[in-house]
Amino acid sequence: MSPDDFDRLQSLMASRAGFRLTRDRMKLAEHRLGPVARREGFETVDAMLGSLWARPVASLGWAVIEALLNPETWFRRDRVSFDTLGKELLPALGKARGGQPVKIWSAGCSTGQEAWSLAIAAQEAGVAVEIVATDLSQRALEKARSGAYTGFEIQRGLKAETMLRHFDQAEDAWIARAELRAMVHFARANLVDAPTDAHQFDIIFCRHVLGDADPARRGEMFDNLERRLIDDGCLFLGPDEQPENDSIAFRPVAGRKGLFVKSPAALRRVA
Amino acid sequence: MTPRTCLIVDDSRIIRKVARRIVEGLGFEVDEAADGSEALAFCGGVIPEVILLDWSMPVMDGMTFLRRLRALPGGMAPKVLFCTIETRAERIAEALLAGADDYVMKPFDGEILTSKFAEVGAV
Repeated sequence: MSPDDFDRLQSLMASRAGFRLTRDRMKLAEHRLGPVARREGFETVDAMLGSLWARPVASLGWAVIEALLNPETWFRRDRVSFDTLGKELLPALGKARGGQPVKIWSAGCSTGQEAWSLAIAAQEAGVAVEIVATDLSQRALEKARSGAYTGFEIQRGLKAETMLRHFDQAEDAWIARAELRAMVHFARANLVDAPTDAHQFDIIFCRHVLGDADPARRGEMFDNLERRLIDDGCLFLGPDEQPENDSIAFRPVAGRKGLFVKSPAALRRVA
Repeated sequence: MTPRTCLIVDDSRIIRKVARRIVEGLGFEVDEAADGSEALAFCGGVIPEVILLDWSMPVMDGMTFLRRLRALPGGMAPKVLFCTIETRAERIAEALLAGADDYVMKPFDGEILTSKFAEVGAV
């Protein structure tokens, strides 16, 4: 891969996905694009990129973009957030909603572990929820929808007891049970796209996504999240992530790393 | 502060070595035993805070060790994590019923073991 190819990949990732492809990921990018080139019928990565630059085909472009996103995830990643959700937030919200499901968005769900972890927390709290889990990568979503994980994947973050309670064993895979599946709806969404409808959530989990965002796009991505969250709704970021510095839309919750509450619209107008 | 203690019970020297490196990385002082009987003798002296336990071993297997451990004075205290190649759901359930705190299916890596230690509250 030439430096010019990498520059073009960087701007492709920033413009289409709001993703910052840092220069130290050049080797990784080459490694990840190998299988994409083979799948798409090209001899080499260089040949594939050459073709993409000469004649941009949307499907090939998205296949390249998907392969370069950061898919890293595991069950109950930053486990404190799930405990806060299941033991404090959901019981309170469930009561406030009077049995109506609490609406949760797993934004940037990758292969689905976060969404299933949310469903497990809700089920164990005995609170009705509707979870929408979105990602930009179709391939990641296929895996997420399958709800099937290897022994290696399933036990990263899950206690054996929790695994047995919520997953069925089939051959070498562990598959999310029907009760969990009924709680989660997976769909493709791009966080750089502004919402086109008024649907809002009570809680948004968007962790380890905006940390990888292109700095020039991060602001609008936060705006898009904010528009999808009800007033006083909760936004969970990674424990070391925070909203843009000048954001008055979210206020941090003391003692809860990565948890932010959306300020009511009236307050924001005054500020 | 005295370091926390972990006993690794496995008849494979290689597994013990791999596990030891990971567990020491979590700040534990590690001892090793090659079967349940050696482990039981060790626990007769001092009971460790965490025990990583293989199932199938010569002399005394992990399940027998676990039952005897839990009957010892102070034997309910340690967090016991089975760590074996046995991956059938029924067997995992059996181990949990016998008093294991958690269960690690081999193969495992540092991230899995670290998350298991966190889930049982050992770190």
